[in-house]
Amino acid sequence: MESSSAKSEGAARALLKREARGLRRHVLPPVFYGAAVTLAAIAGAWVIARLMARLLGHGDAGWAELAWAAVLALLGAGFGLAQERTMLAAGETARASLRGRAFARLLALGPQDARGLGERAALVTDRIEALDGYFARWLPAALLAIIGPALVVTAATWADAKSGLALAITGALYPVSMALTGIGAAQASRRQFAQLDRLAGRFLDRMRGLPTIVLFNRQAAEAAALAETAEELRQRTMRVLRLAFLSTSAMELLAALALACIAWRHRADLGGGGDPTVGLFTLLLVPIFFAPIRAFSGAYHERLAAGGAAAALAPLLDVPAAPGLLLEAMPPRVVVTFTDVRLTYDPARPPALDGLSFRVNAGETLVLFGASGAGKSSVLRLLMGFARPDAGRIAINGQDALSLRPEELRRLSAYVGQQPHLFHATLADNIRLARPEASEAELRAAADAARVSDFADTLPQGLETLVGEGGFGLSGGQAQRVALARAFLRDAPLVLLDEPTAHLDPRTEAELIESLQRLCVGRTALIASHSPALRAAFGRSIEMAAGRIAPLGRAAGG
Amino acid sequence: MLGDLARALRLWRHRRWMLLGAALVGAVSALLGVALLALAGGAVAATLAGGAAAAFLLLRPLILLRPLARWVERMASHDALFRVQAETRIWFFRRLADRLPAGIGLRRMGELLGTLVSDIEALDGLYLRALVPAFAALAVVAAPLLLLREQPLLAAAVTLPLALALLVPMLIAPAAGRAAARAAAAQGALRHAAVEPLTGLEDILAANAERRVGAQLAAAGAGLAHAQRGIAWWTAGAGALGGLLVQAALLGALAWGLAFGAGPTAGLALLGLFLAIAAADSLGLLPRAGVALAAAAAGARRLFEAADAPPPVAEPANPAPLPVGSAIRFERVGYAWTPDGPAVLDGLDLQVPEGARIALLGASGAGKSTLAALLLKLAAPQAGRITLGGVDIATLAAAEVRERVVCLTQDARLFDDSIAANLRLAAPGAPDAALWRALDRAGIGELVRALPDQLETRCGEGGARFSGGQARRIALARVLLSPAPVVILDEPTAGLDAETEWAFLETLEEVMAGRSVLLIAHRLVGVERPHRVLRLAGGRLLPAAG
Repeated sequence: MESSSAKSEGAARALLKREARGLRRHVLPPVFYGAAVTLAAIAGAWVIARLMARLLGHGDAGWAELAWAAVLALLGAGFGLAQERTMLAAGETARASLRGRAFARLLALGPQDARGLGERAALVTDRIEALDGYFARWLPAALLAIIGPALVVTAATWADAKSGLALAITGALYPVSMALTGIGAAQASRRQFAQLDRLAGRFLDRMRGLPTIVLFNRQAAEAAALAETAEELRQRTMRVLRLAFLSTSAMELLAALALACIAWRHRADLGGGGDPTVGLFTLLLVPIFFAPIRAFSGAYHERLAAGGAAAALAPLLDVPAAPGLLLEAMPPRVVVTFTDVRLTYDPARPPALDGLSFRVNAGETLVLFGASGAGKSSVLRLLMGFARPDAGRIAINGQDALSLRPEELRRLSAYVGQQPHLFHATLADNIRLARPEASEAELRAAADAARVSDFADTLPQGLETLVGEGGFGLSGGQAQRVALARAFLRDAPLVLLDEPTAHLDPRTEAELIESLQRLCVGRTALIASHSPALRAAFGRSIEMAAGRIAPLGRAAGG
Repeated sequence: MLGDLARALRLWRHRRWMLLGAALVGAVSALLGVALLALAGGAVAATLAGGAAAAFLLLRPLILLRPLARWVERMASHDALFRVQAETRIWFFRRLADRLPAGIGLRRMGELLGTLVSDIEALDGLYLRALVPAFAALAVVAAPLLLLREQPLLAAAVTLPLALALLVPMLIAPAAGRAAARAAAAQGALRHAAVEPLTGLEDILAANAERRVGAQLAAAGAGLAHAQRGIAWWTAGAGALGGLLVQAALLGALAWGLAFGAGPTAGLALLGLFLAIAAADSLGLLPRAGVALAAAAAGARRLFEAADAPPPVAEPANPAPLPVGSAIRFERVGYAWTPDGPAVLDGLDLQVPEGARIALLGASGAGKSTLAALLLKLAAPQAGRITLGGVDIATLAAAEVRERVVCLTQDARLFDDSIAANLRLAAPGAPDAALWRALDRAGIGELVRALPDQLETRCGEGGARFSGGQARRIALARVLLSPAPVVILDEPTAGLDAETEWAFLETLEEVMAGRSVLLIAHRLVGVERPHRVLRLAGGRLLPAAG
C-alpha cells in the first residue's frame, strides 16, 4: 500500500513536470508580468520615499513626482491585470490539452474499461479542472517567489547594502519557518490529511446517496452520525490549522522583523537627522518584498489539489497509444476468418472464447446462436476492436485484422450493440452520427429502410424530434430502429449486430427482421442472437456454447 | 439576493456571539496593524516637531502582538465557522430527506444532491470570505476618519478612496453572480459533453466519431473557460480597482502634504499615508469578498428553493396502524410527474398477493420505476389508490410503509464506509452471520471472503472500490438482508455480466423465500420463473409472454 501510493505520487509528479515543461511558453508571460508588477512597485516606492522626505524637509520632490507615483500605480495595476490574463490563458491551455488527451485515451480504452462511468467522466471534468490552479497559479507563483524578492533585494542593496542584507536574511528565514510549521507539518501528517478528506467527503457521499438512506429509513441515524463526523472533522482540522496559521503568522513576524531591522539601521536619518529618503525607501520595500512570498503560500494548496488529480490521471495518460496500421483502402467485399481464437476477460473465470474457428464468406450472413454468456458478443467485440484476443488469428480478406489500429478496424463495420444509446439530439442527428457527411436524401433513405420513418412521420417534428435524455421517449423497438438506420447510413461492407431483437415482442421482431434482411443483402454480416425466429430468417448459423462451437450445432445451417 | 443571505444568517443565529466575537477579533487585529503604522507615523511626526519619540517604545510590543492577534482571529473564525457549518449541513440534510423526491423521481437525484453540497460550501464563504474581511475593512476605514479629524480635507482625501474600496465588492456582486451562473451552466454542459459519449461509447466508437465528440468536449471546455474568465476578470478588476483606490488615498495624503503641509502639520500627512498603507492589507481581501458574496447568494437561493419545496407526499396527521398482511393492490392508479405533463400511469390495476413473484416489463420511460416510487410513498397517485394489507398507504406513515417494502433502485448507492456498515443500513442490528448469508445469496460472498479486510473492507465513494457488477451485487445483498416482506427489484442485474445475471435470476425464487417480489426489467432472460409477467404500456399493465 505504502509503496503503491509512493509510486502513484511519483507518477503524478512526473506528469505535472512533463506538462509544465511543455507549457513553458505559457507559464513564462505571467512570470514576466509579475516581475513587472514588482518593478513598478519598487519604482513607486522610490518616488514616494522622495515625496515623504520632502515633507520631512529634505530633497526637492514635488508635483511631478506625485504624478509619477500615480502613473506607476496605474502601470502596476495594468501589469497585474495582464498577469491575471496570461495566468488564465496558461491554465486554459493546460486544461484543454490535458482534457483532449485524456478523453481520447478514454475513448481508445473503449467499453472494456473497468472504471465506472462517473469516475471516467470525472477524469475529464473535475480532475482536469483541479489541475488549473497548478499551471495558472502555482507555477508562476513559485517562480515569482524567487524572482520578486531577488529584484527587491537588488534594489535595496543599490540604495543601502545593509538594508538589502537584512531583507535577504529574513527572506532566507522564510523557508526555515515554513519547514518548522505549516508545510513541514502538512507533509509530516499526510495520513492526517487523508483522514480529513474522508471526513469532509462523508457529507457529499451521504447527500448523493440520500435516496438510498431514505428508502431504508435511516435518515435520523445518518443525521446523527453526520453530526458526530462533523465534530470530529472540526477538531482534527483545527489541530492542523493551528500549525498552518502559525506559518502565516511566522511570515508576518518576519516582515515585522525586517521592518524593525531597517528602521534601526536608519534610526538616525528617520529620527530627524539626515536625509531619510533611503531609509523610507527600504522600509517601503518590505511589503513589496513579502507580496510574492504571500502569493506563493496562498497558491500552495493548488499544488496539493493538483497532486491528487494528477495521480488519478497519470495511469490514464501514461499508457502509450496502441500502435497499428491504417486501412489502405475500403474493401468492397469482406471475408472474415477466425482461427482458434481465445479470449479471457478475467483469469478467475472461464474464458469467453475458447479456441473458436469459423469463416464467413463475402456477402454471407452468419447467425451466432446460443444462450447468454456463450461468447457470441465477444466475437463481435473482437471484430470491433473493443477487445483483443489472447491467442489465435482473426483475418479479414486473408490479412491479419489485429495489425490494424482498432479505429481503422471499425471503419470496416456497421455495428449495432445490445443497447444502442440515443443521444440528446434530434432523430436525424442520431442517425447521422454514423456518417455525418451523408446527404439529406441518403439520411431519408436510411430512415425509410430501417422503418424509422414509419413512426417519425407521426411525430409533429418528424425526424427533427428531440430524443434521448429529456427528449421524446422512444420504445425499445423504436430505439432499435434508429440504431439500424445508423447501420444503413453507414453503408459499410461488414455488418455486426448484437441481439438486435432481444427486447421486442414477436410482431415488432418480425418487422425488424425484415429490415435486417435488407441491410445484410450484398454485405458480409454476423448476427449474435438467441432468437429462434431470427435464426430461421437467415441462411447459415452456428450454435455457440462456452466460447466455442457447440458439438451439435456444427451441422446447423448450410 | 439579500433576502436569501439574511435567511442563511438567521440559520446561524444561535451561534451569533461566537461568530461576532471572531469577526471582532478580526477587526481588532486589523486595527492593531493600523495602530502599528499610525504610531510609526506619529513618532516621525513627533520628531519632526522636535519632541521625544515616546511612540517608538510602544511599537515594540505591537510588532509581536499583531501576528498573535491574526492567529487568534483565524483560529476563532474558523472554529466558529466549522460549528455553524456542521449545523447547517445537518439542517439541510434533514429538510431534503423529507422532500427527497419532489418532482424528480428516483433517477439522477444523486447528482443533483451533489450540486447542492457545493452550494452549501459556497454559503460557508459568506462568513469567512465576506463578513470577516468586511468587518476588518470597516474598522480600518473608520480609523483615519477618527485620527485625522482635525484636518477635514486630509481626512477626506484618505478616507474617501478607502470607503469607495469598501463598496467595490457590493458593486461587483451582481455581475459576478451572473458570471458565476454562466460558469455553472457551462460546467453542466461540459459534464454532459463528457458523460453522453461515454454512456453511448460503443455507438461512438462504431461510428468512428471519436474526433467529433472530442471536438464537442473541447468546445464545452472552452465554453467553461470563457465563463470562468468572466468571474476571474471581475475578481481581478475589483482587485486592481481596490489597489488603485488605496494608492489614491496614499497619494491624496502626499498631495495634501505638498499643498498645505508646511512644518509640523507635515507629520499629519505622513500619518495619513501610513494609515493608507495599513488599510491596504485589509482592503486587499475585499474584492474576493464580492465574488464570494455572489456565490453564497446564488447557492442560498437554490438551497432554500430545494429546502422549501413542499414534501411530495404529505404525512397523515394520525397514521393508521400498520395492517398485518402485506398484499398489495393498485386500484385505477393514475400519475403524471407534472400537472400538465403526460400521464405516466393511467388507470393502472395490479394485485400482488403475499409471496407472489411478478415481473414487470416495459420500455424505458414507460413508468416502471414510477410505479415503484408510488408504492414507496415517494410520490402520491393523483387518481386511484394503493393498498397494503387492505389499508390505503396514504393513511400510513411513510417510514412504516418502507419497513414493509424495500427496493433495489437503479441508482442504489454504496457509501464510502465498510461493507458491513453498508449492509447494516437495511438491518442495523444484523449479526455478521446474516451479512454473510445475504452476500452469499447475492453471489458475492466468495469475493468478499477473499478480501484481506473482509466485511470491514471500505467500499469507496459510490462503491468505487468495486467494479460496477460487484457493487451492484453488494447493493443487492443489502436488500436481501432487509427483513421487509415486499421486495422491489428495479433492473437488479443491470451492469452484471450475462453469467452472473443468469446465476442470480435463476436463484431468485430460492433467495426470496416466500417474500413478494416485483421484478422490474426491460426483458426477461428466461430463468426467472415469475408467477406472472406483465407489460407496462400506455400507463397500464397488460399480460405478456415471458
